[in-house]
This record gives sequence, C-alpha cells and structure tokens, in this order.
Amino acid sequence: MAGVDVGGGGKGGRKSLDSEINMIPMIDLLMVTISFLLITAVWTHMARLEADAQVQSQQQDKDVEKPQVERILFIEMMPDKFVLTWKEGGVKVEPPGAIDVPRPPDSVAVSRQGSTEVVHYGDLAKTINEQWKANSRTQADNKKDLAILHCDNQAEYKYIIGVMDALYETKRVMGPAGGADGKKIDCSVTHLQQCETAFNVTFTSQ
Amino acid sequence: MAIHEPGRTLMKHVGLQFVEKKVAGGGSRATNANLSLTSMIDFLVVTVVFLLMSFSASGETPIAPGLTLPKAANYEDMLNAPVVSIHNGLVLLDGTRAGETRTIEDNNVIITIPELLTQLKARKDTWKLSHPASEQKDVPQAIILQIDQHVKAVVVKSVFKTAALAGYPNINFMVDTLAKSGE
Repeated sequence: MAGVDVGGGGKGGRKSLDSEINMIPMIDLLMVTISFLLITAVWTHMARLEADAQVQSQQQDKDVEKPQVERILFIEMMPDKFVLTWKEGGVKVEPPGAIDVPRPPDSVAVSRQGSTEVVHYGDLAKTINEQWKANSRTQADNKKDLAILHCDNQAEYKYIIGVMDALYETKRVMGPAGGADGKKIDCSVTHLQQCETAFNVTFTSQ
Repeated sequence: MAIHEPGRTLMKHVGLQFVEKKVAGGGSRATNANLSLTSMIDFLVVTVVFLLMSFSASGETPIAPGLTLPKAANYEDMLNAPVVSIHNGLVLLDGTRAGETRTIEDNNVIITIPELLTQLKARKDTWKLSHPASEQKDVPQAIILQIDQHVKAVVVKSVFKTAALAGYPNINFMVDTLAKSGE
C-alpha cells in the first residue's frame, strides 16, 4: 500500500504522523470517471453551412421606390460543368459574361472518409474567388454578396454541399478592418478570426 | 520438564525437494508480478484530464441513427435552433414526424410540406405567446436542416422553401467537419 510520510516518528504513545492514502478507492474513482467520460464523449463534431432564404419582407415592399441594384452571382450545376454568371438587376454583366468551369467526374471530385463521401470542387472555389475579387460589391457595408444556386432536382445533397463549400472558401473581412472594399486583408492566406464568408447562398424555387 | 535440543526439522534437515520447488520458488522465477501503481495512476490521471478537456457539458445535437451528414471545410459553429431531419423518407421536426419525402421525389416538383409548415408556424406562435412584447423583435429565425448525404435536391429545396415560408429565413445545413485547408 502506498503511503505519505509527513515526518515525525510518533514516539511516546502519540498518534503516528504517518498517514496512508488508500489507493483502491482512488483507482476506482479514476476508472469510473474514465468510463463515464468515454461513454458520454462525442467524437463527431457537427457544424453548419449558413444559407439565407430571400423572403421579401414588408419593409422591402415599402422600399420599392428606391430599388437597390446589386450584383448577384448565379451558379448553375450542369452534369459536366458549372456556369457562373453575374447579373445586375436581372441583366447579365458583360464582361465577364457566363464563365464555364469544368465539373470534374465523381472519380476525381468525390473521396471517401469512412461512410461519408466528401465532394471537393477545387477549381470552382478558385474561379469563384477570382470572380469575387473582380466583380463583387465595393462598399464596406458589412453586407455579403448574394449567390443563387441552380441545380437539378435529382442532384444529391452532397453535391449541393460540395458547391456551397467551394463558394464559402471565398472569405472577406467585414467593415473598416477589411479596407474600403473588404479586400484589404487576404483571408485565403491569413485565416483571421474576423474573416467571414463573402457570399450568402440561396436556391431558386423552380 | 527438561529442555531438549530440537530435533531434525523439515526443509532444513529433511530434504523435501518437491515442496521447495512449489513453495520457496527454488530459485525459479516468481509467479507474482508487481504492478507499478505510480505509472498506472499517472496514466489514469492523464486520461481523465484529456477526456475532461474534450467533454462537452452542453450536449450535442443528436443525429438520427443511420443518417450520414456530408462533410464541409468552410463551416461555422453550431447554434441552438429547431432541427429538421430528413432521412429514410421521413421529415422530422425535433424528432416529431412532420411529413414524408416520397411524394416530393415521385412528383419531382418543389412544394411546401403542409405538416412541417403547420408545426413550424405553431412553434413560432408559441414563442411569441411566451415572450413579452419587448422581445418580439428577437423572434428566432434560424433553423437547422439535418439531411442525409443521398437525399435528392428536390426534397432539400422543398424543406428550404417551407422553412422560409414559416418564418425561418436563416437556414443552416448541418455538416460534419472536415479539416480546413491550411490547418
């Protein structure tokens, strides 16, 4: 049995100053604690990708007299390519017009991690980042650019998440810290805490 | 009674080789092993500290059994909001049945899911009734969609549309975390 010597010999009939720690309950306690923590542990870490449904509010209805023309990025998911188009008030912005990004086959874009299939569109993310730098809003107004995603109704959810993930790879710093156009700090390099996704995603309802 | 010198004793004067082998070890390796308590306790304490550090007391959003979430690298942290699960042809709102997906998949048309719409609106109305007028501007607008990776886009869009119409425009897709590029 382990003991703790605190000095003294305990002579003259006095109570011994040597005390012992009982190791058995201590080890039992540690074992129970470990068991409890292992049982309650969560090994998968959930997160979220934010999207914004563009619901026209009553306030927006009142503001019809002063319409805000904003550039919107349309992303169309085709079987063999993605088509990126910037539109302003429903009119295609020229240049750049429609930009085609080849869609890699599943054998390239999809990898397996356990039971999950991870979809990664690296070229799409790179092109969106370039396009955002060239065409996005210029005011430091803490507003994100809007991206509208068109996809086939039969497309699987994992591909939608793959496109959204590529879209959210473009990040910016909101407000004055990001400079006049939100692009002063390159979030693709620095990984700052203030970096937020540059886009808000929504879907078409057709 | 007179004191006599002791006679021959076992083991010392009378050789009992089989007993020597069994009991005294006879020079062979001992059958009892010593366990080092210090290193064992060190190991246990380190394990407890590690598990305590990774322990989440707030709990995690439960995932329906068999549902596989897609992975994404550019994610944000989770928030507390109603969870709509879509898995095995069912739509569940916080574990309660709120519709099914077969009709949507068969017709291949984006629709509003009536049961889900009713339940979400009821939830919002309950919140408004249970909060004072001063807090009405903070009415919750976020919702979390927990969707299996193989669900068709038409179902996703239908749930998206339904949530937006029910007054939840801030729609969040739950994903499993993937290591971010550069980390």
